[in-house]
Amino acid sequence: MTTRRHFLAGLAAASVAPVRSWASVGAPDFLAAAQYPDGTYRLAGLNHQGTVLFALPLPARGHAAAAHPLKAQAVAFARRPGSFAVVIDCASGRVLARLQSPQGRHFYGHGAFAANGARFYATENDYEAGEGRISVWDADSFERLGEFPSGGVGPHDMRLMPDGRTLVVANGGIETHPETGRTKLNIPVMQPNLSYIDLNGTVLEQMELPAALHKNSIRHLSVRADGLVGFAMQWQGESTQCPALLGLHARGERPRLLAAPEDLQSTLQGYAGSVAFASDGTTIAITCPRGNALHQFNVASGAFTDQFGLKDVCGLGAGDEGLIFTTGTGAFGAINGPRATVVARPDCLWDNHLIPIGSRA
Amino acid sequence: MRLIVFAAALLLPLVAQAQDRAPILMDVTQTHILPRFAALSETANTLATISQSDCEPGSTDLRDAYGTAFDTWITVSHLRFGPSEVDDRAFAMAFWPDTKGFTPKALSKHIAAEDDAVHSPDAYAETSVAGRGFFALERMLYDPAFADQGTAEYRCALIQAIAADIKANADAMADDWQAYATYLTQPGGESPYRTQDEAMQELFKALSTGLQFTSETRLGRPLGTYDKPRPKRAEARRSERSQRHVELSLISLRDLAARLSADHSDIAGDLEVAFARTLESNQSLDDPMFAGVATPQGRFRVEALQQSINDIRTIAATELGPTLGINAGFNSLDGD
Repeated sequence: MTTRRHFLAGLAAASVAPVRSWASVGAPDFLAAAQYPDGTYRLAGLNHQGTVLFALPLPARGHAAAAHPLKAQAVAFARRPGSFAVVIDCASGRVLARLQSPQGRHFYGHGAFAANGARFYATENDYEAGEGRISVWDADSFERLGEFPSGGVGPHDMRLMPDGRTLVVANGGIETHPETGRTKLNIPVMQPNLSYIDLNGTVLEQMELPAALHKNSIRHLSVRADGLVGFAMQWQGESTQCPALLGLHARGERPRLLAAPEDLQSTLQGYAGSVAFASDGTTIAITCPRGNALHQFNVASGAFTDQFGLKDVCGLGAGDEGLIFTTGTGAFGAINGPRATVVARPDCLWDNHLIPIGSRA
Repeated sequence: MRLIVFAAALLLPLVAQAQDRAPILMDVTQTHILPRFAALSETANTLATISQSDCEPGSTDLRDAYGTAFDTWITVSHLRFGPSEVDDRAFAMAFWPDTKGFTPKALSKHIAAEDDAVHSPDAYAETSVAGRGFFALERMLYDPAFADQGTAEYRCALIQAIAADIKANADAMADDWQAYATYLTQPGGESPYRTQDEAMQELFKALSTGLQFTSETRLGRPLGTYDKPRPKRAEARRSERSQRHVELSLISLRDLAARLSADHSDIAGDLEVAFARTLESNQSLDDPMFAGVATPQGRFRVEALQQSINDIRTIAATELGPTLGINAGFNSLDGD
């Protein structure tokens, strides 16, 4: 446990030490949490070739993380419903700070930095009220500065929009309470949405799906350079139905839903784990670890183009070209057009997400 | 020669392990599922009939019929797939937990507006799911806050409407389960299950989520935290049925677990021992509404019961699950 004195001393040291950039740690393209063969949990930095540039110990199984836009620092979250996150110096592996959610709150495992790196935002559950919150942190001292409503229940993924002034939040709609684990408390009345919120907490726009899809929990996001948002969903309704698990939304417009033909869509078990636009922005994909599949679509037409059978595939991000994926069985692979290639197989189990470092979202 | 056989075994693990699940699938549907839904339909019909002639909230006959029908619902409450999830039927039977108090709000709204929907079963079925089912009826029969809202005549009509809706819902489920049972016993073709293994996995999921709900929700909600126990969050505490629901659900889950593990006597034995211990622990509680969670002693005992259920969950996940080919993926099982 870092005492306040040590913590402040560390900050003083950090302020005189030169700021280390991502280049100084081997210029990773992604962060990903993983379980190593010895059973330890680590936060890894990876490049597009699947080379593990660093693998820093985490106190417990990690979930998503957020990369500082300038400094080689990452905020790594515990799996939800975790009440803490650690700020890691990716050059030394040192824990620079620990973010603790206040009494009555827990993190949902996702967060985003402001474009200039001065603030950090995290999705939280106010679980007595059953309402979502976004907490605001000083990204130097990692002091909690305040919070505002997330615009819904169960906020999960959150990204900074390309304008640098707006957060887009996936309010999954599912109410949980730590005393009842991950039991979902409000399925019949859940109402997910996508909320666009400015950095002062004003809700600018909200997108809800048609009422028949109110049980399609909006969970994970990817944002294209022009502000087009891709959202991945998890279906909580009847298992005999197999609605789209991927949507596209541009501010001020109606959402578009993208699905594979029913015979393939029905094998996904209503569950998409991650979403990402490919590097050129013309292709988007979702990973479906329960259906052991990756589905790729054309963004302009919305057409389903490819299915790849990949066991326990979940992490997904943009590559130099096309897309990069990771699996819970240890594979790191690339997708280019209709071809999937496993390019590396580091001996570890990759967790749900690949977190882009730098400009790509 | 031996080497060749070994290599062939490596190539064909799925074929080598494929088992005929037909006897178990037939047994679970015919002996576990269908009789329980038939009983639900029967007791719900009795409840609706009695409410027609006796809608006095304090009536022993009405409360008994309510209790008997609610008992039969709890014994199927883990079977939340297929016909039970169509049109939110399971939620319409039991809207709980109700974290934001939607049930009393929905009922008060009906009463304040003297909503005509109570005079038509079809119309009532279209009203808020929170105002339907056993928890709505519990409010009307046991909650003093509803003893004098609106007129006695409207309250009577509302009680009758909720009972009739429970009956219609139970009948629909019982009918549809007759047809759906064939999907489980004859996978492939029109069935949503492509293989016997997929049908087995659905039943295993019912067992594991049933155990999870009883542990995390039926016990977890009233337990709250040590500093802040929540006895008023116990399930159906107004009718003093909280502990009873834990018992009924465990008895039903024990039956399902025994049938699913019929081919593995060692696992069946482990499950049986764990269930017997858990049921004993529940019976010795003598705390119908889990009011005891507010005291250190009472809390300790409910926590011990919860741990005992979690031990069953571990046996199910680590011993029974793998025999059914449950995909133990790092991500696919974790959810996020």
